[in-house]
Amino acid sequence: MTRDQVYAELNKIFQDIFDDENISVHDTTTANDIEDWDSLEHINLVAAIENKFGIKFAMSEVNGMQNVGVMVDTILKRTV
Amino acid sequence: MNRYRYEDLYVGMKETFSVTMRKDMLDAFRRLTGDPNPLHTDMLFAQAYGFNERVVYGMLTAAFLSTLGGGYIPGERCLIQSVEVKFLRPVFVGDTLEVCGIVEELHDSVRQVILRVEIHNQHGERVLRGRMKTGVLDERA
Repeated sequence: MTRDQVYAELNKIFQDIFDDENISVHDTTTANDIEDWDSLEHINLVAAIENKFGIKFAMSEVNGMQNVGVMVDTILKRTV
Repeated sequence: MNRYRYEDLYVGMKETFSVTMRKDMLDAFRRLTGDPNPLHTDMLFAQAYGFNERVVYGMLTAAFLSTLGGGYIPGERCLIQSVEVKFLRPVFVGDTLEVCGIVEELHDSVRQVILRVEIHNQHGERVLRGRMKTGVLDERA
């Protein structure tokens, strides 16, 4: 899976979670850039990503996801 | 009250309990919420629309999902995060409801359990269905 493919799926997940089809995330996107991205929605994002990519994150990986780029790095590492 | 730890939960795990709807529950719900809708408060109004009895507030029926999470699964360590439900059939005073939660997903990294929730009446008819997401607190206490 390429980084672009991960982003294509990730954008769909973000758009679904935040009910906004205009959301497009990038490596530097953080919770500060999306108004409703609070701790609860972060949990929902993680759960949706786990389901979509068929992976299970470690708690330390979730805590380390400071921006979307790190999130994508983690997904790519887990889907190899 | 159950005291399941996150580690005790597994996909397919199920908990149920029963509750019979009483008139005083509707009256208490009205006092608490201030919802004056006559379908729930006025038997004659309800009868005019083809119901034999006052219709139980849908949100009162759904309130028992709080009991399901906080008392049964996971119980003591429950932290409800979201509830999405559909009200499929009317519930009436005197109905005995079976409230059921089945673990559908577990997300270890965020200690989230997703329950499929259903409520059936005494006739076996499903009156509510939905999904409830809850966190499970750690064992601090």
